[in-house]
Amino acid sequence: MDELIYTLKQQIIEALNLEDMKPEDIDDNASLFGEGLGLDSIDALELIVMMEKNYGIKLKDPTQGKEIFKSVAVMADFIAKNRTK
Amino acid sequence: MMEKKEIYVLSAKQISVQQPLCEDWMSQPIEYQQPFNRSIDPSFKDYISPIEARRMGKILKRAIATSKEALKASGLETVDAIITGTGYGCIENTEFFLDALSKDGEQMLSPTYFMQSTHNTISSIVAIQMKNHGYNVTYAHKGTSFDSALQDAVLQLRLGKISSALVGGHDEMTETFYNILKKGGMMGHDDEMCGEAAVSVVVGARNDDYLCKILDFKMLHKPTIERLKAMAAKFKADFILTGISGDHKSDEAYIAEAKELFGDAKLLKYKHLFGESFTSSGLGFYVAAQCLKAGKIPAHLFVNPKDITDKKPSKILIFNHSDGTNYSLTLLEA
Repeated sequence: MDELIYTLKQQIIEALNLEDMKPEDIDDNASLFGEGLGLDSIDALELIVMMEKNYGIKLKDPTQGKEIFKSVAVMADFIAKNRTK
Repeated sequence: MMEKKEIYVLSAKQISVQQPLCEDWMSQPIEYQQPFNRSIDPSFKDYISPIEARRMGKILKRAIATSKEALKASGLETVDAIITGTGYGCIENTEFFLDALSKDGEQMLSPTYFMQSTHNTISSIVAIQMKNHGYNVTYAHKGTSFDSALQDAVLQLRLGKISSALVGGHDEMTETFYNILKKGGMMGHDDEMCGEAAVSVVVGARNDDYLCKILDFKMLHKPTIERLKAMAAKFKADFILTGISGDHKSDEAYIAEAKELFGDAKLLKYKHLFGESFTSSGLGFYVAAQCLKAGKIPAHLFVNPKDITDKKPSKILIFNHSDGTNYSLTLLEA
């Protein structure tokens, strides 16, 4: 799981072009949206695209995103359980 | 008859292959040996917050930086219009988008690259950054994009519809785009150097520290030589800033035409310093305006070394054409 979390952080940094950030700077349990990383709705779309591209996960219900993108740890757990690649 | 309103160039800023946001090129120009070069960027953190900048391509960051600096230098708090000329718009993001489309198909495209791959993103993002709700238009007319944007501003200023405008000329050049243009015979001839253009100028009513005055401006589509001669007689100046680029065949024709039209006027060039791009005429405008403000023309701008003079320029005519089809004549006065 730790390896997945680290890889996921790298992929988030790349997908969202968080230029000055390193995986170590992102807390596993910090909120991705709002006060944590401060991501917005366009970032949510980027994360949906990133999950489909890298893990073969297609969100059937976009409202699921609110729960899945709560933090990197929650996201990694969802990916581990649902990935097809 | 309605009296023509006087139009002044209040400020002009550039980011290019020369040192950015300054006039170092006048005394210490950077010389390039290779034909493909990208601009020298300043630190964008001074102009855009990192969280906003992360989604922006270089062309947008440069447009914001030059626009903010130009507005600051103009002494105005805001402008009535933001008018942008761009030949190919956000070409780098377009490339990212098309690359992803060819690799991953239509289903997994990044929304950011799509949103910021259009031409009018530049003008709109400048307006958002400046909180400007005024007239906002983009001209994508290849080699006369900047000239078209300037024409819009000049016409509206003359009619009194606006009192100030931020006119931009923005284009970026990626290696892939350069190679495509080169293969198509549109760039990369002989000694021609390509560049990128990010120019923002503020035009409007006179202020205390203006750069120069726009005495006259005209765009012509497929003019006859007689029509060009009639215009040249009207747009008289001692110095003619040409778009000579290092493309030997094209330059030969350009010089011959300029000599026929303008007789003994001294020919100047700027593309050997700033490179060729679709909005390089914006850099030409910037160069002429800065020379008039400085009261001198650097020796390295003269086409013929015999013409080099310390004479203070009073008028410079910018003579631009795109593929010999669309012409623009911009007469600036100190």
